[in-house]
Amino acid sequence: MKYLFIDSATTNLVVAIIIEGKITYLYNENDGNDTSAKLMPIIEEAFLKSNVRPQDIDKIFVVTGPGSFTGIRVGLTVAKVMAYSLNIPAIPLSSLEVMASGFDEDVTALIDARRGYVFAGGYDRNLNVIYEDNYVLFKDSGLSGKFVSFDKFSFETFEPQLDLIKIIKKHEDDEPVNPHMLNPNYLKLTEAEEKRLQDERN
Amino acid sequence: MYILGIESSCDETSLSIIKDGCIEVSTVVLSQMDTHAYYGGVVPEIASRMHVENITIVIEEVLKKANMTMDDIDAIAVTYGPGLIGSLLIGLMAAKTLAFIYNKPLIPVHHIAGHIYANNLVKQLEFPLIALVVSGGHTELVYMKEDYSFKILGGTLDDAVGEAYDKVARVIGLPYPGGPNVDKLAAIGKDTYDLPLPLNDDSYNFSFSGLKSAVINLVHNEKQRGNEIIKENLATSFQNRVIEILTKKTIRALKEYGVNNLIVAGGVAANKGLRSSLKEACKKENINLTIPEIKYCTDNGAMIGVAGYYAYAKGLKADLSLNAKATMELK
Repeated sequence: MKYLFIDSATTNLVVAIIIEGKITYLYNENDGNDTSAKLMPIIEEAFLKSNVRPQDIDKIFVVTGPGSFTGIRVGLTVAKVMAYSLNIPAIPLSSLEVMASGFDEDVTALIDARRGYVFAGGYDRNLNVIYEDNYVLFKDSGLSGKFVSFDKFSFETFEPQLDLIKIIKKHEDDEPVNPHMLNPNYLKLTEAEEKRLQDERN
Repeated sequence: MYILGIESSCDETSLSIIKDGCIEVSTVVLSQMDTHAYYGGVVPEIASRMHVENITIVIEEVLKKANMTMDDIDAIAVTYGPGLIGSLLIGLMAAKTLAFIYNKPLIPVHHIAGHIYANNLVKQLEFPLIALVVSGGHTELVYMKEDYSFKILGGTLDDAVGEAYDKVARVIGLPYPGGPNVDKLAAIGKDTYDLPLPLNDDSYNFSFSGLKSAVINLVHNEKQRGNEIIKENLATSFQNRVIEILTKKTIRALKEYGVNNLIVAGGVAANKGLRSSLKEACKKENINLTIPEIKYCTDNGAMIGVAGYYAYAKGLKADLSLNAKATMELK
């Protein structure tokens, strides 16, 4: 089986091709900006170096969030259009699970969501969920233990580690999502919608 | 030659297949207007979210409607700016993905070039021409010597004309989108309110924020005096000033540049008052006027497919690193 993996939800951009359980191309750089300009040339290079064509891909794994709203959409649009056009399944993944994948112990992955809020998700060494991905005010979350994050916090965090094969194995047989229904998992409404809900409650 | 045109710069996800730069094979427009109406204007983050939800559905529809597959498409044209960056990125990433998978040329199109070329669906553009571009984001007079050559003669110094319409609509209590509602009301009112003719000078620039403020102050002052505002008369008075200055500067540009062809483009080109004022002035001055059908005045993929054809003929091509730009000049 030939897989394409895309994660553009965090400052860490990951593009990979996995053929018969082996990584034939991996771009994994924490260089943040310009994902919209960089992503397609990287994907093009991934195919070239792996000596496969888009038409050879059997399945796309794509991170659907949480994280940077724009970042999520950039990678997801590519995955969505590719899965639709090539008529292949797409498997949505959590950015927090990806960040936690390289650890052999329980960790909580964090993304700074500003104003004291975080996107948080806890996973054990086999990527079973300990604390479901959530948008939460950190000081009220009761979260403790080992934290991993690309962002800086006032407490100790560890650099996220990626174990691509572990993630793929865990989700290889997940139910695929129809490309039309493959959408971001923001875990957060827009400010306009939040305000609207508040107004409706009052 | 078949071009797939992709437009997502604001709140419409629209794709179109255009043959030879002038024949519309199929167009799909998914408008988010009803959603944004609740908020009184386009909410950029909501717009971006809806674009990503809709993009593959629109791709499927436009091909189905044309009874074509991506293999029948020769090139992909996409709006890469100006516009809302989050919205632009969805169309742009979709275009780049399709160009990559199917190995098709990618053509970058300026949104305003698209609006101008919408006229090519009505009648082949004749040069030289002057284009009056009027929309929610733009107010520009453009001189074109030949295909895909643009010289900006002047533009708005502050609010775009459509923006001023939306704000005035809000002040007099009309629902979003303001432009069509003010236009409707203006048709039945009388020009009774004393409002200034904005930026009535020798330049080709426009300014609508002063006129907008004059309307706001007028409403405020009348309220303080306990006088009722006659909405339709205020709409007529406001619209007459807008139309007068747009018509006046456009006709002057045509004369100064010795140009006989005028085209009008952008959402505000749907304004009935503006259409009839320009028609009358052009008739008097013996100028050929082209205004697109109302459905081609608002944002759509067809205009991008048409402009893309002429851009491609000029040798414009982009690689997969093409990025979206919120602001950029028409060159």
